[in-house]
Amino acid sequence: MKQFVATCLTTLLLAVMAPVTALAQNGPLRIEITEGVVEPLPYAVPDFVAESADAQELAQQIARVVADDLTGTGLFREVPREAHISQITSFGSPVQFADWKAINAQALVTGAVSSEGGRVVVKFRVWDVFSGTELGEGMQFAGSPDGWRRMAHKVADQVYSRITGESGYFDSRVVFVSESGPKDQRAKRLAVMDYDGANVQYLTSGNALVLAPRFSNDGQRVLYTSYETGLPRVHVLEVGTVQSRILPGQDGVMSFAPRFAPNGQTVVYSITQGSNTDIWAMDIASGGTRQLTSAPSIETAPSYSPDGSQIVFESDRSGTQQLYVMSASGGEAQRISSGQGRYSTPVWSPRGDMIAFTKQNAGRFHIGVMRTDGSEERLLTASFLDEGPTWAPNGRVIMFARETQGAQGASSLYSVDISGRNLKRVRTPEGASDPSWGPLQ
Amino acid sequence: MHTGHYISGGAHGVLILWALFGGIFGSDPPDVEVAEVSVMSEAEFAAMTAPQPDMSTVEEPAALTPPVEEDAAPETPAQEREPTTPPDPVEPEVAEPDPAPQPDLPEPAPETTEDLTQPPAPAPAPEVEAPDVALRPVPRPAPRVAPEAVPDPAPEADVAPEVQETVQDSDTAETSDAEEQQATAPEAATTEIITEAEEPARAPTASVRPQTRPSRPTPEPEPEPTETAEPAPDAAPQEDVEEDAASAIAGALEEALAEPTEGPTDGPPLTQSETDGFRIAVQDCWVVDVGSQAANVTVTVAFDMDRSGQVVGSTLRMSSASGGDEAATETAFQAARRAILRCQGDGYNLPPEKFDQWKSVEMTFNPESMRIR
Repeated sequence: MKQFVATCLTTLLLAVMAPVTALAQNGPLRIEITEGVVEPLPYAVPDFVAESADAQELAQQIARVVADDLTGTGLFREVPREAHISQITSFGSPVQFADWKAINAQALVTGAVSSEGGRVVVKFRVWDVFSGTELGEGMQFAGSPDGWRRMAHKVADQVYSRITGESGYFDSRVVFVSESGPKDQRAKRLAVMDYDGANVQYLTSGNALVLAPRFSNDGQRVLYTSYETGLPRVHVLEVGTVQSRILPGQDGVMSFAPRFAPNGQTVVYSITQGSNTDIWAMDIASGGTRQLTSAPSIETAPSYSPDGSQIVFESDRSGTQQLYVMSASGGEAQRISSGQGRYSTPVWSPRGDMIAFTKQNAGRFHIGVMRTDGSEERLLTASFLDEGPTWAPNGRVIMFARETQGAQGASSLYSVDISGRNLKRVRTPEGASDPSWGPLQ
Repeated sequence: MHTGHYISGGAHGVLILWALFGGIFGSDPPDVEVAEVSVMSEAEFAAMTAPQPDMSTVEEPAALTPPVEEDAAPETPAQEREPTTPPDPVEPEVAEPDPAPQPDLPEPAPETTEDLTQPPAPAPAPEVEAPDVALRPVPRPAPRVAPEAVPDPAPEADVAPEVQETVQDSDTAETSDAEEQQATAPEAATTEIITEAEEPARAPTASVRPQTRPSRPTPEPEPEPTETAEPAPDAAPQEDVEEDAASAIAGALEEALAEPTEGPTDGPPLTQSETDGFRIAVQDCWVVDVGSQAANVTVTVAFDMDRSGQVVGSTLRMSSASGGDEAATETAFQAARRAILRCQGDGYNLPPEKFDQWKSVEMTFNPESMRIR
């Protein structure tokens, strides 16, 4: 007891002495902040200024698409236009920052659209309201009136980049399998769309079953698996001309799960011979092939690291489907997944720091991410059937297919931030599965 | 010469014979005391134990005696298992009805039972025996997604649409008309979306039995002789503590007073609450994008302030940063700058008389505890 009293007395006296010590403080007041808030950053996008009479509607539409892009990330929250105090009537006039501060807009996007001779010019500026400074410099894009959405996406990408410091993903496209009809008679065809589900274009007719399309890094070609010949075979399609061809291979041998190497010259895919499935690599130009795995188990779903030095794939060599990493030239593979359940369809992040995967455990499917060494596994989603993750070009968002339960169940595309937030459906005209996110254009 | 040997041999012989035929190694089991245990209903038990006995009347623990009255307290099996344990000194806890059996706490039978409205009654053992296998309850995850799971609020907490801090009286805070409000708990959230229909059965099939209460140390049989000896071993540590305290106080005094009182000493120093108020005001505006590369950057921002508590914008500068590339560092700096500027309003609430203490500030923004791992 006496000891306790003595300790208390000492603590009390030291506490009393603390201000005396602080009295002698020299230099600035130092404060450390370790807790912030996780919330969307409020911003404002007033309608862009129409600098020509026929650009009025376009100016509004472009501003709306920019706002939709930014708000759709979940990282930003638009201050509604009804709350705006001041209006932007001229692109060059000074911004009344006090008016935007008053409505708590931290960022402001101003822009102008002009149309002349069938050519549309969009220019914009991004402002940091509370410091009263411009973020970056003004920029403009020019294009045809038909390409206004793409110009709006480019503006949004710039705004996103200037505020977050990371590249955007709005001016990008997604190739996927469009599905129609009941489950037992479902027609599947390749389609490509903007990242937000707009501008859907079909690449195949739907006569043959198609699976797992994969964009090349330049977005010009698509690899996919087609049952056109009766057996699954890997095809490559030129997006510009919509011409496709079968990659060379032995007749009667199934090849599937293709994916481009970062250099675009090599394709890695699976070949089934008998009951054994292994991973092979093919040089597209020469047609030369090389076997990368030789285990008597099923190895498939290969995906290159961004630098092309490694490949992550799934294998059941341990008894259940798990994820392994090996050198791009083959050889010894190291298992990286260690949790319960089955892991499949691994995809290396464009940042290079994470691997996304599908996980099946306890009767449910998850989309998850883990470090490239298998650590820090995090499950982002859970449902009856989630599968086939694909990364946005900036490595920040994952798109995947989700199928609902039952005979009338349909597949659709969803996206989710790698923080697990902002899970939302991507609108497509029909059912959709097997997304593959292309590069930023 | 061998007389001693003869005597010893004879005595041992007698002892061995007595041991063999004297019944020392008899196999008769020792008598076991049997006590009548009556099963009571919970209501009866509560009624019987409601008035607490006045334990002050129990001065000396008495030896164990078999129950002789019908209304005597039911004895615990512990008394049967450990009849030789010395009686425990009387403490108030002993009289409290405890649902768990306490095998190590034999209940002393009070000698003067007439003063007790109810005798101390331990809980009847058969009613509280724990099952061998217990299912651990699994809290259902909330259908919200957050970077860090927010635990379920306490039952008495209200879940408000917005999380708010407790408003407390502060010496430095300006008087406001705002009514005192209680802090609300953030809505429970988890890191993944789990629907009820898809919730797995994660209950363990078995759980460890609850640990029994640690045994009370056996009291000294004769505390009196040790009382005089106790102060001796205590004396040395007490002196040490006092010496430590004295030296710590002297050191603090010396440290405080030895420093020359130079620099910005115009005015008293900021109190901890004033500093905390400043820190909280800024952190409420610090928006962290937990999934970005900037969330890996710790940045220190330096700035000056005027007497009204407003930041001199032109002095805002990044004094140091670590943990990311140039773009991520710049983004982290911009976020910190926005936080400082956005929440100042008409000026941070800092005491003007201590202006010299806060006219120059270095603020470090460390998102380590927030970022996704």
